[in-house]
Amino acid sequence: MSSLIKKLFGTLAEKPWEENQALIDNKHTGKTFEISNQMSAVIIIFGFSTAIFSLVFTAYLYSIPPEQDTTFILKNKLLWINTLVLIFVTYFFNKISKDLKNNFTNKIKNNVIAVGAFSYLFLFLQVILWYQLMTEGHFVTTNSYFSSYYVFTTLHGIHLLGGLFFWGKISSRIFKLKEKEYVKESNNLHALSIYWLFLFIVWLVFFSIMFIYNDSVIAWCKELIS
Amino acid sequence: MSEEFNDNKTIQAQSSESISGGGSGAANDIDYVRPAEVGEQDLYHGHSFISKWVFCQDAKVIGVQYFLLATFTGIIGLILSWLMRLQLGFPELAGFMTAEHYYQFVTMHGMIMVVYFLTALFLGGFGNFLIPLMVGARDMVFPYLNMVSFWMFFIAVGVLLASFFVPGGPTGSGWTLYPPQAILEGTPGSGWGIMLMCISLILFVAGFTMGGLNYLITVLQARTRGMTLMRMPLTVWGIFTATVLAMLAFPALLVGALMMSLDNLLGTSFFMPTILKAGEVLEYGGGSPILFQHLFWFFGHPEVYIVALPAFGIVSDLISVHSRKNIFGYRMMVWAIVGIGALSFFVWAHHMYVSGMNPWFGFFFATTTLIIAVPTAMKVYNWILTLWRGNIRLNTVMLWCLGFIVTFVNGGITGIFLGNVTVDVPLSDTYFVIAHFHMVMGIAPLMVIMGAVYHWFPLVAGRMLDEGLGKWHFWITFLGAYSIYFPMHYLGFIGVPRRYFEMYDSPYMTSAVGMNEFISIAAFIVGAAQFILFYNIIKTLKVGKPSGHNPWKACSLEWLTPSVPPEHGNWGDKLPIVHRWAYDYSVPGAKEDFITQITPPSEVANTEVEKT
Repeated sequence: MSSLIKKLFGTLAEKPWEENQALIDNKHTGKTFEISNQMSAVIIIFGFSTAIFSLVFTAYLYSIPPEQDTTFILKNKLLWINTLVLIFVTYFFNKISKDLKNNFTNKIKNNVIAVGAFSYLFLFLQVILWYQLMTEGHFVTTNSYFSSYYVFTTLHGIHLLGGLFFWGKISSRIFKLKEKEYVKESNNLHALSIYWLFLFIVWLVFFSIMFIYNDSVIAWCKELIS
Repeated sequence: MSEEFNDNKTIQAQSSESISGGGSGAANDIDYVRPAEVGEQDLYHGHSFISKWVFCQDAKVIGVQYFLLATFTGIIGLILSWLMRLQLGFPELAGFMTAEHYYQFVTMHGMIMVVYFLTALFLGGFGNFLIPLMVGARDMVFPYLNMVSFWMFFIAVGVLLASFFVPGGPTGSGWTLYPPQAILEGTPGSGWGIMLMCISLILFVAGFTMGGLNYLITVLQARTRGMTLMRMPLTVWGIFTATVLAMLAFPALLVGALMMSLDNLLGTSFFMPTILKAGEVLEYGGGSPILFQHLFWFFGHPEVYIVALPAFGIVSDLISVHSRKNIFGYRMMVWAIVGIGALSFFVWAHHMYVSGMNPWFGFFFATTTLIIAVPTAMKVYNWILTLWRGNIRLNTVMLWCLGFIVTFVNGGITGIFLGNVTVDVPLSDTYFVIAHFHMVMGIAPLMVIMGAVYHWFPLVAGRMLDEGLGKWHFWITFLGAYSIYFPMHYLGFIGVPRRYFEMYDSPYMTSAVGMNEFISIAAFIVGAAQFILFYNIIKTLKVGKPSGHNPWKACSLEWLTPSVPPEHGNWGDKLPIVHRWAYDYSVPGAKEDFITQITPPSEVANTEVEKT
């Protein structure tokens, strides 16, 4: 981070019209950061999606009904199973990244399949969780606590489906490649692995907020904003 | 010139891995540039009419597509404004218009002009056309995604316009779409209209995200050799920073639109408090309309700068080229663009002084609003100092630029009035506000767009627009715009409220009748004057003077392509090599009054470049 800030401010301090600076500038070879375009895209999507999720969280904090137990959903066991499934996905992606770095290609294909399988399992279990909540009478319209929960999980699911679309494209290419050629897809796989990690962190943040924010904190926030 | 230089000059744009040489010996050559790190890009060249001009992946064509669709949408916005002015100035001639129609026209005019016209035109139009050319890239980094971005915009516009033809018509809740009014019966378009508006906005944001991704990565990761960030023209800086803003601000619009759709469709209560309607309690409860206002303005205020920053960047370049001087304070201009961009996220609640929020918030947001005037004023000073003792060409482009500076200063000064809580409260919801924001983010950016069209049209079509027609276009628009918006300030001062279908019988309203008639006539003339440009374009395409290469004798890369208009891939066999910034005009000792970005130092060895 510090090198990024240094780079940013260093760049803005340049005087491009000076002769000495011109000699330095002529050495520029095209890229600002030593990362792939795919990784750049994922980082920008992080920014965009972080803004979306932050605003959903803010809306949640702004409008939780005072009588609502904010840890209600956290008491559901299926939620924790789902979280475990997400951990598995992140683990397998991490393994893929490490294997690519170390050039161990023999398990990459299986791990890619595992990532997809667990991701679809997560989405399936999420739908089951929704069904459970609805059969218990907790609908999207019940109150803003549940509205926020449904909106958050829907947006998270849409992000996951977007990731799975690219996972599908990349895995179909991997299936066609020979084991030694997997490295051709390393930029895409690294970017996708970071994307999944981001989705996992967002998931954890939302439920941490549900856990941490009790009535007194909510009251303080409301007083501040209104 | 050394042999080594000649060798380096012919290095093709390949990745550094595939290029050998260019070692330490070359480093001593003043013209030496390292081999490219950005690999050659595989481009999809269309072969049929459909793949070349409709589902096209060339950023330039996509830019023109954005431009045409945004202009079409803007004309609809213009027609709606005519209808509003007809009602306000000559209500006896507007018998066909009900109050509901009027509110729908107000709403659609506002949303169309801000989002679907100005934003799409600056970022989608100019962004796509200029970024790859100005940074020396062959195309955007993800051309397919770029194409999808345009077609998402196309669908978004289609959905928006479809709302004119659904039961109840488009939403009439004002362009701010405030709930609960927007989704409750009694407001025009509270059913289908608001739903289509929300869906359209969601599609627009989704489409823009794909385009924005391309603009950012192309600027950061796909520039040509020698093109450092601080050698980029200010146009690119403006579009780049505006895109960053949009990527962080549009999520608020997306979340707001999504939640309001759910409130409307499923009956959630994100923004809906407990409401009593005709003695009956509605099913809503627990939500907050103020939350929507925060979300909307967290998008809405940066949106002003999403439009303004590209305009700042473009006008800086136009002024520099047409006054034959380097831009005064380039670094300061970049800092101001970045600074304004950052500050724009800390001023949103100055739109909400009368919403009942905590007074300390008013204090905070008034302070930040005044702070943002500092970098903005810096830019104005720098434009004026660029003009100072310049070799000014008083052509159509320059006229638009001068018009912009005056208009922007006018609108900016009234913004200082409205940024202060105590002044804003009595002026809130009056025509003073309308006059302010039309000056600062309507007319001022429009003047930049017009200047940019006259400047870059030769690059798009290879022909020069007619100067005589251009000057008529400018003067009618400039004088007409002031005839519309200057009187509106006065109307605001006497308390005439905005968004009123009719003004009723009251002494001060009666005194405003004559002025409203005058404003309406001016609005009809200014609107009609825009068709001079369309006539000029059609005439020029048929019989216009060929522009040749670089008709304005500009330094920046977009004018230095092997062919004009540039072909797909922009640069022929070899990518350009950049040796300097884009502002070496009137350099002492140089043969001509400009030195292009690709001119090697050895060719201008006796000039005093660094002293310009």
